Amino acid sequence: MTTTLETVWHNRIFYLFVLPFAALTILFGVWPIVLSIMVSFTASATALRPNPTYVGFANYAAIFADPAFLASLLRTFLYTAAAVVVNVGFAFGMAVLIDSPLLRRGGLLLRLALFLPVVTPDVAGYVVWRWLYDRSFGAINALLDTVGLPAFAGLTTGPTAMISLLIAELWHHAGFYMLIFHANLAIRDRALEEAAHVDGATAWQRWRYVILPQLKPAFIINTVYALIQFLKTFTVVVVMTKGGPNEATNFVSYYAYQLFDQGRYGEATAMASVLFLIVIGVSLTIYRLGDREAAR
Amino acid sequence: MGFLKRIAAAAGIVMAGALPSAAQTLTVWHDLGDNGLKWFEAMSAEFAKQRPGVTVKSLSYPTDQWFGRVISALNTDSAPDLIYNNYERVIRIQDQTGKVSDLKPLLGKVSDKAFLSEDDLKVATYKDRQIIIPIQRVQMGFGVRKSWLDKVGEKFPETWEDAKRVAGKFRDNDPDGNGKADTFGFALEAAKPRDLIHILDLFSFGTGLRHTLIDPAGKITVDEPRHAAVLEEFLKTYTSYKFVAPDTINHSFTEMYQVIEGGRGGMFRVGDWNVKKWDGEKVLNGDFIVGKWPKFAADEKNYVVIGGMRGIAIPENAPNKALAQDFAQFMLTKAAQQASLDNVGAAVRGDLDVATLSPRSQYFAKAEAPLIAYDFPEAVHPFYPELEAAFHKKLLSGIANPPADWKPFIAETAKEMRELAAKLKAK
Repeated sequence: MTTTLETVWHNRIFYLFVLPFAALTILFGVWPIVLSIMVSFTASATALRPNPTYVGFANYAAIFADPAFLASLLRTFLYTAAAVVVNVGFAFGMAVLIDSPLLRRGGLLLRLALFLPVVTPDVAGYVVWRWLYDRSFGAINALLDTVGLPAFAGLTTGPTAMISLLIAELWHHAGFYMLIFHANLAIRDRALEEAAHVDGATAWQRWRYVILPQLKPAFIINTVYALIQFLKTFTVVVVMTKGGPNEATNFVSYYAYQLFDQGRYGEATAMASVLFLIVIGVSLTIYRLGDREAAR
Repeated sequence: MGFLKRIAAAAGIVMAGALPSAAQTLTVWHDLGDNGLKWFEAMSAEFAKQRPGVTVKSLSYPTDQWFGRVISALNTDSAPDLIYNNYERVIRIQDQTGKVSDLKPLLGKVSDKAFLSEDDLKVATYKDRQIIIPIQRVQMGFGVRKSWLDKVGEKFPETWEDAKRVAGKFRDNDPDGNGKADTFGFALEAAKPRDLIHILDLFSFGTGLRHTLIDPAGKITVDEPRHAAVLEEFLKTYTSYKFVAPDTINHSFTEMYQVIEGGRGGMFRVGDWNVKKWDGEKVLNGDFIVGKWPKFAADEKNYVVIGGMRGIAIPENAPNKALAQDFAQFMLTKAAQQASLDNVGAAVRGDLDVATLSPRSQYFAKAEAPLIAYDFPEAVHPFYPELEAAFHKKLLSGIANPPADWKPFIAETAKEMRELAAKLKAK
């Protein structure tokens, strides 16, 4: 105890400088989460009053008894799984392509084309995608019509709406994941590949046993980040489908938002808390698995 | 010294007379947009003649945000002085907060109110509390693009068969003459809860039916022959008839308005509050006719629908409650009502000057067409919102996956609604 206090006192200037930032982080980062969790234990009608009525786990019981929430949760998991695989896979492919010596000249242009959507305001991008998918005047169906292919149902049927959102989100996010893969590829130890080459390893063997293991940090970061991103999918739904058609894209974040909008604060924050726990749980599990692998 | 004191006292009296009386500001939250802001500005100027120094400041929020803000403000004792919206929205506020004042005693003090009908007051009452003072009747008629009718050689449709024929021509005969197949018979909506019901209500009431889903006695009406006929045609309009834009299943109010104002939908709902904007040169430039909703059977009668009542409500924790009550009473005076008609296109008084309004606004203001009111089930059955949400989901699932025959679907829907209503009643 004395030692700890002595250490703190010894580094007092450092702690003095850190203190305001730590306080701000707690105030604006942690406190809203704590408040949100607290609201999830209150009766909606009293949730925002100075002395709310606490109802224990009643809101949690209500949402888990709601088939629409359970369906929404399942839908969110399915979409997240598909979106993570597609985004990380696509970004990896593009990073490898850009890293290729064959693409030295066009690499910058391709990198720019892939990264521009990341810095484009998401709402603006999704509004354009919505127009592209429109069955009456959208460019996608105009193109399909020109080449004599059948029309794409876009946002008007459940399965195609899911695919449409996935493509729009791929456009918006893949550039970021690609950048992380590309950075990891750039700092890899090329001497190992040369050594493997000298030892007679084929191109495939060099990729599989020398390069891929070095890309593990990028895979872990991208997978965790993508999981967090897609479990919380919201903006694309608000702009493009509003949860439709017929609830087909009503993910947990949007469902919670709808309840919040109806003043059902208790249930809405209970849903948000469940999602928060899932995101934290999944992220920590993947990090721990990654760490365990690295320690082997 | 005495002389100086007298001078100072006289100067004090003169100064006090010259100073304005203590300034007070009343705040109103509504969702009427620019027209609403202008209306409250005009009323503020009129009210200041009676109550010098009082300013009425209004803030308009998109409807979704209005709900959230009002609920949180009332629950945290940071309420505005007044809130203004449709009766059913104020009901939801009361349900979530329990802090909307009972205005019965206040309306009792108003002498000039003969223009308010029994129905108007019934709508304004929820669980024995008068939660709004009715200020504007919400009328909704059936609108058709005039130039399109001329182009396809048709007249304003009186019956549903007429409407279907016209819709087909609007879709197939290039009524806007741009050489593209980009027009639709109807501009409708089906994305959000209530969107679908709202439009179905208009078709049902417009042909003289009194209830869409449930009657005041609690009987489900969905599969009664006349109701079922309207419902089946309504569902086919979204599906097999192909009279609407293919993306309509994702269209809410915003997108529906884009179809109307973008010149792609030929027949649509016209609310009294829409006319002023659509008369504008850059919107529809007055190129539309407003009339009664089409009737579905020869022995029925067509109507313009009174789709609700907008009114003023006072939170129990309003900061300037007494002054807010004065202003709420003032909103029924002729000057305030005239400002309402001129700026928003609706009022409750019948003695207002309509000469300066466009023919389409006059159609509503004069109320010459037969009017039929919504049945306002929210005010009768507390469980109605939950029942309605389930009904909407069922209909939407049908539109998303249309059955070959709608009759069994309607029968099944009615059965499910009966079971749910019984369950909700027993709660």
